[in-house]
Amino acid sequence: MRFLLDPGPLTTLAELTEAGEAAHSAGLDGVFLSASPALPAPLVSAAALAARVPDLRIAVALELGDTHPYHVAEEAAVVDVASGGRLILVVAAARDAEDVYGEALDLLLTAFTPRPFRFEGATWKVPANLPENVHNVERKVRLTPAPTQPRLELWGAGAGREHALRRGLGYLADSDADLSELGDAWRAAESSLGAPALTAARARHAAVGDPERLVATLRAGREAFGQSWAVVRAPASGTRALGARVRPRVQLESLPEGLERFWDETVTNSTRRTTG
Amino acid sequence: MTTAAANIGIGLWTMQSTAVAPANPSSLYRSFADAAVLVEELGFHSIWTAEHHAWYDGWCPALIEAQAFAAARTTRLRFGNAMLLLPQHDPLRLARSVATLDRLSGGRVDLGAGLGHRDSEFDLVGLRRDRRGRLMEHALETLEAVWRGERGDEPVADGRLPRIFIGGMAPAAIARAARLGHPLMLPPSLTPEQLREIAAQYREQAAEPAQVACMRDVWVEPDRRRATEFADKLSRHYREEAGSWWVIKGDTGFRQPEQLDRQLRRASQSAMIGGAEDVAAGLNELVDAGANFLVLRLNFDFVSPEELAAGLLRLTEDVVPLLDASLGGSS
Repeated sequence: MRFLLDPGPLTTLAELTEAGEAAHSAGLDGVFLSASPALPAPLVSAAALAARVPDLRIAVALELGDTHPYHVAEEAAVVDVASGGRLILVVAAARDAEDVYGEALDLLLTAFTPRPFRFEGATWKVPANLPENVHNVERKVRLTPAPTQPRLELWGAGAGREHALRRGLGYLADSDADLSELGDAWRAAESSLGAPALTAARARHAAVGDPERLVATLRAGREAFGQSWAVVRAPASGTRALGARVRPRVQLESLPEGLERFWDETVTNSTRRTTG
Repeated sequence: MTTAAANIGIGLWTMQSTAVAPANPSSLYRSFADAAVLVEELGFHSIWTAEHHAWYDGWCPALIEAQAFAAARTTRLRFGNAMLLLPQHDPLRLARSVATLDRLSGGRVDLGAGLGHRDSEFDLVGLRRDRRGRLMEHALETLEAVWRGERGDEPVADGRLPRIFIGGMAPAAIARAARLGHPLMLPPSLTPEQLREIAAQYREQAAEPAQVACMRDVWVEPDRRRATEFADKLSRHYREEAGSWWVIKGDTGFRQPEQLDRQLRRASQSAMIGGAEDVAAGLNELVDAGANFLVLRLNFDFVSPEELAAGLLRLTEDVVPLLDASLGGSS
């Protein structure tokens, strides 16, 4: 299971960097950034973080459908290229945009392929070929730059579960989602895709203070719907426990008898190594 | 190295991997951030980027994200656009991106707003090119509303918009900048005479005139043979873009070679390539004609990071000390 640190609402580059460095030194896989009132464009924050901290995957939560998805595709491509292919795009439907969510996902997926395309959806046509635009107008267009990842990591979120799973995309479930219902959706997706479906789930901040409970929650998610990523809300100071006490306990199906007791006796929350 | 070039910005980063100068796409963004660190160290005011969309060479379509990547590695340097094609963006979305960059960078944003000229770029996102003036006005209003906190976000800074350099030399652009109290950003091909006229018009129309900025392609190269080589490369650089895109008398450049040659001659004549004293004299002529801010373009696809660093050093050590005091030079 992989771990993304969700540092909660941030206001400065210093806080953003602190969260990234904490995730990196705790051995987590990345961070999870969403819009906050002070930093309303998480893709911009992601680009800044990519310059400050190496290696980390940077997941960005966005809403789809309230703007032309081509703008989102371009910005995501630039962040993916600048970061060396480290972007994970997590998209939920914007308010009142549930009915165009599937089309927006399709436009993103089409635009991310490195070839000229023509997209004719009910809401968006790319290129639009408006009669008033006359010079150099093309029938097919190429999104440039192409994302660095051959297939940019794209997850659905919120009410978009069926849309995401049906397209073979990852899906980020909320922490209060019903486990057995998620399990049914997951198994249905795998059987219709004929391939493993990727799912992730949020775990709430409150659980970090209690590593044992968080471990139990994540094991249950793994069991119920194949949870493969955990997005954990924690302050930078709580990150060490995630890497040292939670992460090792959910990588294997079961642990040799005595290992957890050994860890309890020897593993402290002190910092072992830091980023360079 | 503390030469103060308080009113000089360095351009122009576009992140292109062209047929003439192929480059790894990610390395172009890293080189931009490396260059920002150097430009800051050398004491310049700012570093400038330019956007286009859906072109074969990866030309950067999302400048605010690219600037955030470089802003995270610098502390004093400002970030400008010459230009960001404002009418082609979703104004609310862009305003939030700019507000985020402004906060992350500690208020180091100088926007630059151009209209854009390629029909195909407007067509990508379902906009009409012939409505670009109206789209520009709407976008400027939206930026201001977001800045004041009227769109559900926290107000940015003290609610006062950052400077927005208004691009172009058409009467409408001059009037728009004058009316809104924004600075002007004039294109690199402008002659000193044209500049003098436009600067006078702007200062006459504006109740509170801001900067009159001018772009210039500049390369300090005392050796005549190497200067000619640079000029040839520059000309080829513009020919690709102009031949493919520019609409000259109703048709595109490559389809009318003679018209294209004429346009390109004008562009290449305005570039300042030569010894430090000649370059300084040319730039001082622009100041004399009314410019009080310069964006000097040294960076092109065909200039390697090493050549750029050397060129920036020559500019800093040999040219800046000869520039008019109003630009932050010492003479």
